[in-house]
Amino acid sequence: MTFEHCIRCTICVENCPVFRVQPEFPGPKQAGPDAQRFRIGREKSIDDWVLLCSQCKRCEMACPCGVEPAQIILRVQQRYGMEHPHSPAHLLFANNYYLSALGSMTAPLANRIAATKIGKKILGQMGIATYIPFPKFSFKTLSGEKKTRSRGNRKVAFFYGCFINFYRPDIGRKIIRMLQSFQINVVLPPQVCCGLPALGNGNLALARTFAQKNVASLSNYIDAGYDIVYTCTSCGLCLLQDYQGILEIPEAKKIAENSYDLHEYLLKLIAEREISPVFREVNRSLAYHIPCHLRALKIGYPAADLMKRIPGLDVAILDDACCGLSGSYGFKKTNEAAACELGARAVSLIRKTGAEAIVADCGSCRMQLSGLSTMDAFDPAEILCESLGIRNKK
Amino acid sequence: MSVIEYDVIVIGAGAAGLTAAAWLAEQKLRVALVTAGEPTACLSTGCIDVCSRSDQPLHGIAGLPDEHPFHRVSPETLKQALEDFRRMMADMDMPYEGTLEENRLVLSAIGTFKTTCLVPATMHASPQSDEEKIHLITFTGLKDFYPGYLLSRLRNASFSSYDAGVSTTMGIAAHFEDRAFLETFLLWLERQNIREDKIAFPAVLGLESSSFVLNQIESRLERPVFEIPTLPPSMPGRRLFNVMKDHLRRRGGVIYWNWPVVGVEKSGRQIEAVTTEAQGRPNSLNARAFILATGSFVGGGLYANRDRIVEKVFNLPVFAPENRDDWFEQDYFSMNHGIGQAGIPVDEAFCPQGSPWNNIFVCGSILARTETLKNGCGHGFAIATGRAAARSCLERLK
Ligand SMILES: Cc1cc2nc3c(=O)[nH]c(=O)nc-3n(C[C@H](O)[C@H](O)[C@H](O)COP(=O)(O)OP(=O)(O)OC[C@H]3O[C@@H](n4cnc5c(N)ncnc54)[C@H](O)[C@@H]3O)c2cc1C
Ligand code: SF4
Ligand code: SF4
Repeated sequence: MTFEHCIRCTICVENCPVFRVQPEFPGPKQAGPDAQRFRIGREKSIDDWVLLCSQCKRCEMACPCGVEPAQIILRVQQRYGMEHPHSPAHLLFANNYYLSALGSMTAPLANRIAATKIGKKILGQMGIATYIPFPKFSFKTLSGEKKTRSRGNRKVAFFYGCFINFYRPDIGRKIIRMLQSFQINVVLPPQVCCGLPALGNGNLALARTFAQKNVASLSNYIDAGYDIVYTCTSCGLCLLQDYQGILEIPEAKKIAENSYDLHEYLLKLIAEREISPVFREVNRSLAYHIPCHLRALKIGYPAADLMKRIPGLDVAILDDACCGLSGSYGFKKTNEAAACELGARAVSLIRKTGAEAIVADCGSCRMQLSGLSTMDAFDPAEILCESLGIRNKK
Repeated sequence: MSVIEYDVIVIGAGAAGLTAAAWLAEQKLRVALVTAGEPTACLSTGCIDVCSRSDQPLHGIAGLPDEHPFHRVSPETLKQALEDFRRMMADMDMPYEGTLEENRLVLSAIGTFKTTCLVPATMHASPQSDEEKIHLITFTGLKDFYPGYLLSRLRNASFSSYDAGVSTTMGIAAHFEDRAFLETFLLWLERQNIREDKIAFPAVLGLESSSFVLNQIESRLERPVFEIPTLPPSMPGRRLFNVMKDHLRRRGGVIYWNWPVVGVEKSGRQIEAVTTEAQGRPNSLNARAFILATGSFVGGGLYANRDRIVEKVFNLPVFAPENRDDWFEQDYFSMNHGIGQAGIPVDEAFCPQGSPWNNIFVCGSILARTETLKNGCGHGFAIATGRAAARSCLERLK
């Protein structure tokens, strides 16, 4: 931990979205490096305000001294979680994976209940915010998809993540078709939730269980010559950063070395002249909301680089605002007001561009932004597919 | 091998790096800027110091020691760079005022006056003496801003205090972005029956819309309003950084955040790529030329070991006072600490002296003998050298 390197410049504080709107949160400098000096192993943690940090990582990206306040806070959050009982909302979201699996199995029913007044009331009493519609479960998850093969010698194991699996498997199918159109072999390796929701809700043990399962599975595929491709930037960050970092999974380095963001991967193949996609005109003007976790991945904005190649497409890049939802953060009643205010700011920046729709890599950013603005929000892959003429079979 | 090959990679997002990158992008080069974190501009008053050691910046520069890197910038380049800066800021709705002919004063948060060259429009009305009649508005509980300091030094000042419900500069500035808050505040302000000629605020008048907020207050109260820069978090510094960054992006430049350069790939006399450690695997970016704008010690470009000062990216030869005893003076607050001279010595083309590489250009406060503090060569110097280094880089690439 490098908290001693802090020069107290407050640059992180200026970048913290939660600090902006949530007076109870003292900001990354105080919650991170400042308070760290006083945290002793023997004493129970009392600083419950650490739970207010949404783990957007913006503080970390701005700090000129490499202090990583978000990492410090994440560790304190886990410790707090171990020492204190979890609220129903925390428990629920940590276990989002199992719940979503259940939700999908019973999709028609679950969706209807979640949308009713009574459903909302129950959610409210559990401490869950309902200011934007809860995402709809999909009955046909991606994990239920049959094996798909094509003839190429590039092999990809697709880590699709919970959002695509349970809510938008149609996007997942399109991505698979797109990769296949480049003669890439795509398989869907056995996988569970990446573990980030569990971490975000102070449940280190559960996160580790998820991580171990994933690593065991993905590692086999890497040994068999597969590249891992993920598409959710938060899953990606968890896979690459947290598995090696806070979760201390032995084989995590191997996973990090062989996993790529979908768009990063396509650019790589283009650079290596393995594929040369022909992008056709798409007449749209889009506001590209950069998810905080894409920025934190340090790979630049590969989807923007790809979309630049699409004729007729006008993309304005917005990376100054956090959407406010931060996975399950904004779904908690205690954070609802902050999430709404941050979302409103992000939406106002989007509106300023005059774009007609939103594009964002992260499913929960899209949910928040389209929920608050009533604009359409696309995954960049959907735009690429539109340009490449790739459609799902009816 | 990186995915995209750039013409130029600029390292560092300070005033120097952002200026260089935006200018090169304007010349239609493929430019990427990589940065470890946010620059010293965010900590600054937002005022542009060119050379604050004299009343006239140009005289001040002429009087700098012969080895000072400012002499490597031609007067035309300096003028162009600052003019372009002003035009850009005006286009982006954050106009600056001032000229290279004359420095001006800005009232500081402790009631002293700071000498500078260009000021944001929100400080245009800053008093030029301690005689002016000023009413100071402060905010209940605001951290790090003490009206007492100001009142003890200004002869004709009074103050009132508004409860904004939050106590941080950031929080209040965010409130000012909200029209309803602004309107309530304006009504309160009208009720204060202010008699003084000017109204002063700590610099919290909005984040993106400071010009708008300032205009609203001025037109309602019918007299000049100005901001007093605060300790960091400093809103005018952040606005400056945000606007420069947006400008670069609009010119087509790409920015990689959280990208501390930790290694380089080289071949012959050329640097081919810079690399960072990106979540588990090295990530590299190729370019034909590189501009080093990593700042001095605070920015992170220089690092002092016990016996030696190192430049962290390319390990370029560093100039520093030979004897370690000459690094510091006895007086902590001295502006004359020898270590201020430390940095990279360059030739006329802003290429590092005594280095084997021929595609690196250096600009900003990492240049040897800048002595930012002593000479008051701040953002203005960074902007001017950023422009000069970029120009020389372009010529090399042609
Ligand atoms: C507290 C403070 C207040 C100031 N106030 C004023 C003022 O009011 N007016 C004024 O004119 N001047 C002011 N200055 C001086 C002014 O900020 C600087 O002289 C000038 O802006 C320097 O700009 P720069 O671009 O050279 O470097 P910096 O602003 O230092 O920026 C360096 C950049 O390089 C990045 N970097 C460093 N190492 C690496 C690496 N290995 N890889 C990638 N990126 C890296 C950093 O993250 C940073 O973004 C102030 C300085 C300080 C410290
Ligand atoms: S953690 Fe980093 S950004 Fe925050 S105050 Fe410390 S040095 Fe500055
Ligand atoms: S991770 Fe985000 S919310 Fe948490 S302290 Fe850092 S900037 Fe604030």
